[in-house]
Amino acid sequence: MSADLFQSPPNGDDDGTVLQKRVDRRRALGILIGGMAAGTQAVSACSPLSAATDEERELKHLEWQEFIQKHYRRMTEAERAETVVRIERLAKLRLGVNVTIDTTGAQPGVLFGYAFNISKCRGYRSCIEACINENNLDRAADTQYIRIFEMKDGPVDLDAATATYEHEVPAAGHFYFGTQCFQCANPPCVPVCPVGATWQEPDGIVVIDYNWCVGCRMCMSACPYWARRFNWSVPEVPAEVVNPNQHYLGNRARRKGVVEKCTFCIHRTRHGRLPACAEACPTGARVFGNLLDPNSEIRWILANKRIFRLKEDLETEPRFWYFSD
Amino acid sequence: MTWRLALASAVGGAAAWLTTACADRAVAGDRPLQQSVHGRSRGVSSGDVAGTIAESALAIRNMTREPGALATVVAVTVRGWTGPGGRPFEVTLRTPGQTPAHARRFGTVTLRNSARTRAPNVGQYPCTSCHLGKRLTMSAKRVRDAHQNIKAPHPVQTGGACSTCHAADNVELLALKSGERATLDHTYRLCAQCHFSQADAWASGAHGKRLDGWQGRRVVMGCADCHDPHKPAIEPRIPFRAPRIERVRGHDE
Repeated sequence: MSADLFQSPPNGDDDGTVLQKRVDRRRALGILIGGMAAGTQAVSACSPLSAATDEERELKHLEWQEFIQKHYRRMTEAERAETVVRIERLAKLRLGVNVTIDTTGAQPGVLFGYAFNISKCRGYRSCIEACINENNLDRAADTQYIRIFEMKDGPVDLDAATATYEHEVPAAGHFYFGTQCFQCANPPCVPVCPVGATWQEPDGIVVIDYNWCVGCRMCMSACPYWARRFNWSVPEVPAEVVNPNQHYLGNRARRKGVVEKCTFCIHRTRHGRLPACAEACPTGARVFGNLLDPNSEIRWILANKRIFRLKEDLETEPRFWYFSD
Repeated sequence: MTWRLALASAVGGAAAWLTTACADRAVAGDRPLQQSVHGRSRGVSSGDVAGTIAESALAIRNMTREPGALATVVAVTVRGWTGPGGRPFEVTLRTPGQTPAHARRFGTVTLRNSARTRAPNVGQYPCTSCHLGKRLTMSAKRVRDAHQNIKAPHPVQTGGACSTCHAADNVELLALKSGERATLDHTYRLCAQCHFSQADAWASGAHGKRLDGWQGRRVVMGCADCHDPHKPAIEPRIPFRAPRIERVRGHDE
């Protein structure tokens, strides 16, 4: 384990200069098309055939504002507040649910790490159930951030493993091996993004601005762990099961054509809580904590248990370790 | 852009209201069990909080997030073990009928987070309703007649009797090898007499389960929260399978 694993990434306060040109272009586009839209709207407002209600007009207006909003890291506090209110209003208009959007930043002196006990995991998939409900995952596409692979006792062999078992678990002679986004210290998905829509936060979580993502899926092909998911259509989350406790960089409503992934439940962990998967696990196989705290449970495990990481030779430096009793 | 101004003032108004609500909660939360600091656990004093609130409306919104369910967990400080770095930690109390340690809310669903549900009638039919003030007798016939519902492979396989773990004059107390007595809340003291490597891992966080937060109070489940002491092995079960629903909003929205 290299020492720089316990260093926060340097880009905590990005001034966003790399994005300057693109923002200006977007703004210019916004002014141009906004003028056209206003003209059209003025015409249609005079037309007796227009059936637009106030709510429909508001929805169109907010969707337009959403389309031309800035990159999250370049927003001022006022612009973020405005964006938050807009997203909450859009959720109300589209689904009729009252959500709250969190924008809490990384806590100083915190770097998240995860440990997974392959001796303890019994393949119940309770983590997946909690994750789906917590993160507003697409129920129609069966989107899941976590995979639990069932493997024959012996070496880790993902090719021979199955993640679609339906029999009673644990099966004799098998062990269970969970994967999700590992929040790598050297994430291959970040530099390949052509628009800078994904980046690593100071607490190690790799996040996506869903409003900036163009859906090219370069990050998905770069990830050696198959951690990212693409929305081929609007995520289907019935209003009655929407988790209203949302973070801008986490489980808020995604659009069609954007990439999403596990964020270690950023809306929970930034407030000191455990990720949903760790909290739901009935076996205690999942340990989550602060790598910078020498007295944390995860540091004890890294120091005292036999540990390994998946595809360590790729030098992605995952902050997700496997250990055994 | 008047709507922007309207939104900004709305946020400001909400912020002012939340500030009051926040202060109320801080005053009300002086009971020890409610000192769970999730959501505000950055070691900030009240003065710092005031400063942060002044900074922006967003900060206030972010600070009044749901604090988690830890505040409802009844726990007691662990005796004889410390966590990593010698820090004391707490274990959930074995309170009959209490569910907070065993069920947590994820989005809109509530899931059990223990491998075992505690028998709901532990409080309803305490051992002392029969065994009060009487010494345990080891007549095999009487044990069989009265406890047919207790399948006990653990004492059978290890050659233990009731009094190996239970105090002979009060079955609701645990008899430790040192001669001490422990309540059922401190089962780890009894279990660790044989399962010492598991106890070490449990105290350090590699075995067992921490509840709710990686930050703040460290509250872990006790041995009997997951393992039936009479039958510690956990039954196999059918894994969760995500129900798939029909797409309503379509691909073209």
